[in-house]
Amino acid sequence: MKNERLKGKDLINVGIFTAIYFVIVFAVSMLGYIPIFMPLLCVIVPVLGGIPFMLFLTKVKKSGMIFIMSIIMGILMLLTGMGYYSIVVGAISGIIAELIFKSGSYKNATRAVITSGVFSIWVWGNYIPLFLNIEGYFSTRQGYGQEYISALTSLMPAWMCPVLLGSAFISGIFGGLLGKAILKKHFKKAGIA
Amino acid sequence: MIEIKNISFRYENSESSVLNDISTKIYDGEVVLICGESGCGKTSVTRLINGLIPHYYEGTMVGEVTVNNLDVSRSELYETAKLVGSVFQNPRSQFFCVDTTSGIAFGCENMGLPENEVRKRIKKVANEQNINHLLERSIFNLSGGEKQKVACASVSAVYPSVLVLDEPTSNLDIHAIYNLREIVHEWKRQGKTVIISEHRIHWLLDICDRVIYMQAGAIQMDCPMEEFSRLKPETIQKMGLRPLTLNYHQYIKKTSRLQDTIDFHNFRYSYKEKNNALNISNLSLPRNGIIAVIGHNGAGKSTFSKCLCGLERKFNGSVTLNGLKIKKQKLLKKCYMVMQDVNHQLFCESVLEEVRLGMSEENKDKVEEVLTMLDLTAVAERHPMSLSGGQKQRVAIASALLADKELLIFDEPTSGLGYRHMKETAELLLNLKGKRSIFIVTHDPDLISSCCTHILHLENGCVKESYPFDEIGEQRLEIYFDEIKKEVTIL
Amino acid sequence: MNNNVFQAESIKRGLVLDPRTKLLLLVTMSVFVLSSAGGKGLEFLAPCLCIVPFVLLLTSKKFKSTILYAIIYLTAIMMLILLRPITNGVVNFLILGTAGIVTRFMPSIMVGMYVLSTTTVSEFNAAMLRLNVSEKIIIPLSVMFRFFPTVLDEFSSINAAMRMRGISLGGKNVTKMLEYRLVPLLTCSVKIGEELSAAALTRGLGGNVKRTNVCEIGFHLQDMVIIFLCFVPFALMLLSRCGIL
Repeated sequence: MKNERLKGKDLINVGIFTAIYFVIVFAVSMLGYIPIFMPLLCVIVPVLGGIPFMLFLTKVKKSGMIFIMSIIMGILMLLTGMGYYSIVVGAISGIIAELIFKSGSYKNATRAVITSGVFSIWVWGNYIPLFLNIEGYFSTRQGYGQEYISALTSLMPAWMCPVLLGSAFISGIFGGLLGKAILKKHFKKAGIA
Repeated sequence: MIEIKNISFRYENSESSVLNDISTKIYDGEVVLICGESGCGKTSVTRLINGLIPHYYEGTMVGEVTVNNLDVSRSELYETAKLVGSVFQNPRSQFFCVDTTSGIAFGCENMGLPENEVRKRIKKVANEQNINHLLERSIFNLSGGEKQKVACASVSAVYPSVLVLDEPTSNLDIHAIYNLREIVHEWKRQGKTVIISEHRIHWLLDICDRVIYMQAGAIQMDCPMEEFSRLKPETIQKMGLRPLTLNYHQYIKKTSRLQDTIDFHNFRYSYKEKNNALNISNLSLPRNGIIAVIGHNGAGKSTFSKCLCGLERKFNGSVTLNGLKIKKQKLLKKCYMVMQDVNHQLFCESVLEEVRLGMSEENKDKVEEVLTMLDLTAVAERHPMSLSGGQKQRVAIASALLADKELLIFDEPTSGLGYRHMKETAELLLNLKGKRSIFIVTHDPDLISSCCTHILHLENGCVKESYPFDEIGEQRLEIYFDEIKKEVTIL
Repeated sequence: MNNNVFQAESIKRGLVLDPRTKLLLLVTMSVFVLSSAGGKGLEFLAPCLCIVPFVLLLTSKKFKSTILYAIIYLTAIMMLILLRPITNGVVNFLILGTAGIVTRFMPSIMVGMYVLSTTTVSEFNAAMLRLNVSEKIIIPLSVMFRFFPTVLDEFSSINAAMRMRGISLGGKNVTKMLEYRLVPLLTCSVKIGEELSAAALTRGLGGNVKRTNVCEIGFHLQDMVIIFLCFVPFALMLLSRCGIL
């Protein structure tokens, strides 16, 4: 690795794959308008996202690319009105993902799958507003009565928070495995991986 | 001055070298054409000059390239970018920005030029190249030709002394090609050095000063244009180059007149932004022929082919074939379009699987036959995406034949091809003549004269002319192409 | 999202805001509406802020979205007020859930939509540059915005090709359908991306000088008003935390 600095080519690659990743995420998250599906997004997004993400990892040879992609996903979430939490979560999970993949000198396939899992945690950032500041939220809604509070808490009980985190991670691993399979089946043969 | 000294180059992951010990000098203000068959290394020479070799396309390289005394292979790309501007073949993928003005400013912004200076340059370049009407537009609403104009402007704005054009007309129609010629003229007037790698030569005859002909990675001929243009047509053909003049005099022997017809009814379609993009109430064309669909940009050619394929959901017309009336849903089953970018229609992991997908049951035994006919047997187990452009095209044709498609539509199948490959495609189409009805949306006069039997000329969504391609048809076609040339040159 | 993600053509826009103002708006919305910070005594804030997207969409002449937003939001509120007391059990639960999520997420998402449909990529880049965001983020971001329409374009071509081959969504095999779509999509996008990189590099991207940006952005009176309005809830929150309110 003679040149560690990120160059134009690398940054453009990040942009392209983020675009593909986001288009897929966006298409899927239309389902989220049906509230019942909302928690499910935590599973679907990482699984499908795993396919472009694993292809992206084959282009990653220098540190910083995964982190940048993670931050950009966060910025996109802010821009689409989902709050700034994904930036914070994405920054942390992005750094960890980066370090994991780096420890496999950017080519270890098992590490790549784990990286996909960790990277996917940014999705979880979108759910934080549902759990954060829960007392503050309810104190402003006293008018709706105890019934409302218990209904909302039963829809999104506090224990769901770590469950969603875990399922994002595990689905990300699944996505990574799926992506790995498709890499082998198509992209390697097609000469783009 | 550009100096190439004993350059040899081999791309990474490639077994043989693409350039073998090339040396040449190009002097300031020269306009040079580099030609040769595909794979001869002409694109690689342009990449040497703009530094993409070895900085972007990696590999093993020997030798030295200097542009105005700057050692290109050892300096950073952004240093070279100040001296050398590049225009590429695909107008879709040259823009970093989504609006035209920022696209033109992009190069200057990268050099860190002050904002006022950049704005001044945009104005100047837009005036010079007559593109004021294209400023402040979204690049996604421009035609290919317009995009290429903006690309040229964005390169000019950096004020480079050398311009490198790598097959710039591959995706352009005749109209846009002549427009590009005007731009190159302007550069020549300004005394810039221009290097054009091209397989279509006719538009460069009176602009280029010098021609470099390459073969298998070496320079075979290097002569002034006057000398080159005196070469006999047969010599040019033997060299694997496209004819120097647009010629329409090689139309194929007329076969017995085809009696059957395909009838089109109510071919009308309107887009939200454009009413009557297509407006044909009745049209009759010979069946099982090869029909060239020509016309200006926006004449309705692509709307016509989409409607014919049954792809437009709100389309209500129909086609009568064999006395049978075929409506939208059925059209989807009967027609197949081979797209300009064939990559869109290859899905499977091997050629064999690809051609079987969507195949009708009774064709099971025909697979072998079709693969042999299209010369695909050797690659039957390969991944379709790993094949060459021509092979991909043939895979798409094979899958259409096996799915019992009766109407095949080709969208610009040869615009980016050199002479030999263009001829190959023409042969292939001739093979299908009499068995399938073929429509070719094209701007390629060489292809039309090599294989078409009928011309359908659309303009403003209507049929302007429809005629068989015989002696008289040939003259009408010639008039059509001549008129375009005049239109642009007057501007 | 079709073609309106950061693709605004400058002529069609109404009131122009600086992209930085828009970012501040997004943050404000996500603090006070999405996550209802502020606590007791400030419960009037969220409903007040919900008027913001309504006004913004109106100024940008997106009448269809404005009306749609108003209808959906008001319906959700009505459901909470009118239907909740008279229902119980599962229905009640569903109403609360749906309406709760709509009232929380919708205003913020609508502001997001407003931002995306009224800003051009160049303006956004200029704003990021002024905010001193690193080039390492700005470059991928601008490539990404430029690439969205391309990806969608490729996607629709692939869809057309699939229809001609008689393979369409709703087929028996979900994974196959995904594969058929994603494989050509990724292959084509990667190829276009490579060409794009080459073109950008020959135009000097990634140099050692700081890039400039010709796009003119700046704060105007309307920005001042909005920035002031955004600070009001923060100030109120601060005051109430200090126990003054």
